[in-house]
Amino acid sequence: MALLATILALRRDARILKLPPYLSALCIIVGVAWLLVLPLNEYSRNTYVSENALLPGQVHTYFTGSEHNIFRAYRHEVALLVDSSVEERTQKLGDLLRASNLKVATQNYEYHAAGRNISNKNVYAILQGPRADATEAVVLVAAWKNMDGEVNYSGVALVLALARYFKRWSLWSKDIIFLISGDSTSGPQAWVDAYHDQHDPRHVENLKIKSGALQGAVAVDYPAGPWGHRYDKLHIVYDGVNGQLPNLDLFNTAVSIASGQMGIGCTLQRMWKHDDSYQERLRTMLRGMLSQGLGHATGPHSAFIPYHVDAITLVTVGDGWHDEMSLGRTVESLFRSLNNLLEHLHQSFFFYLLLQANRFVSIGTYLPSAMLIAANFSITAIALWVQSGRPATPSANPIATEPSSSASKSEKNKGKEAEKSKDEKKPSMTVAEKDGAIALFPTKDLEITERALFLPLIFVLTTHFLGLLPLYVFNNTPEPYLAHTFLAVSNITSVLPLGAAYLLRQFKRPTAQEMTLIQCFSVLFLGMFLSALATLNFSLAFIIGILSCPLSFVRTSKNKILGTVMYAVLALLNPVMVIQAATWFFGHGVVEILVKAAEGWHVWGLWTQVVVWLVWWPAWFAGSVVVAGGLFA
Amino acid sequence: MLSFLHFLLLIALVACASASSDYHERLLLRPLPQSTLLASFNFRSMESSVAFAQQNFRYFPRSFGQILQHAHTKELHVRFSVGRWDADNWGQRPWHGAREGGTGVELWAWIEAQSEEEAFSRWLTLVNSLSGLFCASLNFIDATKTIRPVMSFVPEGDHANSTSLHLLHGTLPHEVVCTENLTPFLKLLPCKGKAGISSLLDGHKLFDASFQTMAIDVRPVCEGAGGSCVLEMEQTVDMVLDIARSKRPRDDPIPRARPIEEIECDTGKGYNSGDTCYPLDKHAEPAWNLTELFGRPLKGACPLTEETGDDANTLCINTPPERTIQVNTTGKYAETRSASDTLRCYKLPIGAEFDLVLPEQQMTTGLVRAEPQLYAARSINGHGQERGSVQAVIKNPSETDAVEFVYLESLPWFMKPYLHTLRARVDTSSENPVRETYYRPAVDRRRGTHLELRMVIPAGSTLTLTYDFEKAILRYTEYPPDANRGFDVAPAVIRLLAPYQSVDKKGIYLRTTSLLLPLPTPDFSMPYNVIILTSTVMALGFGNIFNLLVRRFVGVDEVPALGAGGLKGVIMGKIERLKAKLGRA
Repeated sequence: MALLATILALRRDARILKLPPYLSALCIIVGVAWLLVLPLNEYSRNTYVSENALLPGQVHTYFTGSEHNIFRAYRHEVALLVDSSVEERTQKLGDLLRASNLKVATQNYEYHAAGRNISNKNVYAILQGPRADATEAVVLVAAWKNMDGEVNYSGVALVLALARYFKRWSLWSKDIIFLISGDSTSGPQAWVDAYHDQHDPRHVENLKIKSGALQGAVAVDYPAGPWGHRYDKLHIVYDGVNGQLPNLDLFNTAVSIASGQMGIGCTLQRMWKHDDSYQERLRTMLRGMLSQGLGHATGPHSAFIPYHVDAITLVTVGDGWHDEMSLGRTVESLFRSLNNLLEHLHQSFFFYLLLQANRFVSIGTYLPSAMLIAANFSITAIALWVQSGRPATPSANPIATEPSSSASKSEKNKGKEAEKSKDEKKPSMTVAEKDGAIALFPTKDLEITERALFLPLIFVLTTHFLGLLPLYVFNNTPEPYLAHTFLAVSNITSVLPLGAAYLLRQFKRPTAQEMTLIQCFSVLFLGMFLSALATLNFSLAFIIGILSCPLSFVRTSKNKILGTVMYAVLALLNPVMVIQAATWFFGHGVVEILVKAAEGWHVWGLWTQVVVWLVWWPAWFAGSVVVAGGLFA
Repeated sequence: MLSFLHFLLLIALVACASASSDYHERLLLRPLPQSTLLASFNFRSMESSVAFAQQNFRYFPRSFGQILQHAHTKELHVRFSVGRWDADNWGQRPWHGAREGGTGVELWAWIEAQSEEEAFSRWLTLVNSLSGLFCASLNFIDATKTIRPVMSFVPEGDHANSTSLHLLHGTLPHEVVCTENLTPFLKLLPCKGKAGISSLLDGHKLFDASFQTMAIDVRPVCEGAGGSCVLEMEQTVDMVLDIARSKRPRDDPIPRARPIEEIECDTGKGYNSGDTCYPLDKHAEPAWNLTELFGRPLKGACPLTEETGDDANTLCINTPPERTIQVNTTGKYAETRSASDTLRCYKLPIGAEFDLVLPEQQMTTGLVRAEPQLYAARSINGHGQERGSVQAVIKNPSETDAVEFVYLESLPWFMKPYLHTLRARVDTSSENPVRETYYRPAVDRRRGTHLELRMVIPAGSTLTLTYDFEKAILRYTEYPPDANRGFDVAPAVIRLLAPYQSVDKKGIYLRTTSLLLPLPTPDFSMPYNVIILTSTVMALGFGNIFNLLVRRFVGVDEVPALGAGGLKGVIMGKIERLKAKLGRA
């Protein structure tokens, strides 16, 4: 009982309020450290194939011999189409597929994003599995142009040659769809949207022929020209739109077939030379996280993943001794594995971080990291809430029977003379009597502090709605104006907190409690949102969490210098500034990124902007206003 | 060029002709585009109703006849199908689709009964007996998979008292049809696959076909009013063989790349060289012979068939007259030509092997491909675990005739359609194409949805039918093995009413492909996690409570015997125990 009373009384102890910032900092440090230990052998695992039906690399592959001659001819045919119009190109590609006795159809699409007109044409063919009943299908994709804008000569030719070759087999239990998309991102998106009838018929044409439920998709990206190019490794790209990932089994199957059966090395996240050291693993993981956090389409496969169709892209990289036929046999073996599937891929992980082609960290191991970062905000929010409910000057040490330490210090300094004054300084007491027991309380502790919630709530809500403005502006500004718009937005957002704080001071004169509550609510929203986001897109939650950590520690300060320093730190962590710094660091243009983001918004269904402008930016803005408030006090 | 129509008429006449003999069989071969070959096997055995009632079976299989009698089944149709008919390339379906079923197994029958309950119990008897006879999971056709169609099926036979007949229909779309279903099928034939055209039916080739369907139809046929009735059993096998694939030897079916010397390259291409070859399409008709294609020789005629007349011609091939056909046999055979020489029929020798050899040939003429009356495709749209929509696209290629048809859907109970979202649109007119709707909603775990729509599609139009549905969440034990595959939804059946009328009572049908419905599926390791967790909690709780109840707590000072602790105490205790044991002994 005594213990309970002590703990209850602790609530009012001033020292307890000093604790949360340290706790928050501890959460952040542990969260970051947690992430850093993940590449170690003790915290990561070797990959393994969970789905027994896949049997990767258990079949002989027969895509050799005269198929190579035909492949070379198709590559020449593809090369001849480079300068022809979209119509001519799709017509010819359709004819080549039709010559293999497949059912061929085309699809036009036209999107508008950032004032650009993205229009092209997909051509696809369906191989009806001889024993299949049109209930399931797997897709082989080759985009006409790859992510770097190069013409995918050998990739397209490989799809044509494989279509001809696959048609001869009778063992397919699923239909196989060969898709040659107009480009690497919007084309597959238009096709897969229309396949599920989730498209806008004004921009995307309906599909004339369809097959069953898609069970998997493999894209090939092999831009070697008509005279070929021998490659060194296969780069397996697996990130989907919004950071969704394909089932790990598909990735493992591809790695196992390529490296185990064909002897082709596999690499990921553009780590061309991976020596499996701690640094390399960490770098791979961080690159993967960055890619996942941005949530952009990384290849033709990305569009499939939001529809729960597991997909990967195989990209050839480097100079080596592997030729197109080994890639063809890899794809053949991969399709034989997919053909074995009785069920949709579901056995293995959907949430993972890859450290290397055969090493991964599963969600159970990495999730606490982002959760701790998110928890730091919740701790701060609770602390600020408690603080806002306290009187302006709390009693120093209400449970101590001794005089407070400050009083005893002054006692020492002033000597015995001070005793009198100490008696005078004794706080006024209230006597309470219950069941014959009498107790004394400091009167101040019985005062009720009311929280003025109206202004803080309105302010925080307005801030979150204010985020809609840049969201709209960036997604709808034509490309030529994007640079100016970005400059304007970055200038405005940098000074906006100062302005807002000045206006608040002028018209409303918010109390310290109201300022605390503003910060409390904004940090509370941030913490709750990030913990929810961490389960969906771990990387985005982690990156935003790290970048907005200072929001847990800044306060309205009477000290102008401290206030200015805090404001400067926050100004640097302005989302707009971060975008600018990041694009500069990675060597991209801001406009290029913004155009991609607008395309993502209009075409791919990208949600990253929403998180940035409606979660991160409002939290930053509220924090900055709170700091700026101190400058005008 | 008009020959195909003649030929269709001929087939119809053959099928309808009143029989003098009681057993007929015929194999019709018809080359289709893209080096494929349609082989239609048809076997008919007749038994007079009187003999049937007295269980005096001659050509009618006894095992099958007794099942029909026991289940009071007056007319029966069973279908086993794999693959799909490619209407774009192959044209009209064999038998106008009347001898074809949806993917898997389909069964419908007219059962004589006084009440619906009695009819249903007889239906269960029937499906369970047939299940044993055909080695198929027909016993899984229960109340949830049974419907009573209203407009889609009409009896083919002549029934005296049709008021007491009940039509029941069931499908198993997930059933995989294979050789174990063919063997009992062949056993029903009088020649049992040993002679006659049935000797060509080999499981390896039949189930390697691009499309194959096996059908059994039993119906009573009466001559005029009050005439004598016979019970006719018709067995049909239709298969579309890929000639190149079927010609591969059975012990090496791998489609290896051919040596480059065997491939004809387009030398007109600028890049053509020793290592680059653009393959030229061969437009010539491929070479084939029966033995190669069916994997076994044709062992002469079945001796039970007619010896003279049209019915003696048991093997027919429908090709342009210019196609060279060589006959390879040691026995005596006869060839007759009809329908402007496009149909060549052969009377097979008895007891000698017979083979047709067709060499590779460049053709200058072809047969007219009869265009299907309707094209139909159906697919599931949308994604996610909660709801989706079904879209059926039906196209009328005719430039002149509007087509009236009945569309039948039989949906499992866990796929719950919203009827208010049912939309039927025709791209050429704004008129609602739906004329009549029959709808029987599903009852959870008791019966499925039954929807029949009578619709009219104008000439040269496309009709799009869509409706939304909700996915039910099943109980843990209701999921089948491999639950993550999804659930198969039976194909829709389309019956044409007007203006196309078949010359007999069989009707014109087409079927869509089946659908795969993904349902929300639990992680099946979860129940085990729950069991383990619960067991742990139970064990901990039980352990503590049991401890409290059973163990006697004694204060230290109340135990004088154990006053001495440490090593001494232990030794003392041992001695005490030893003493007690010795004392008892």
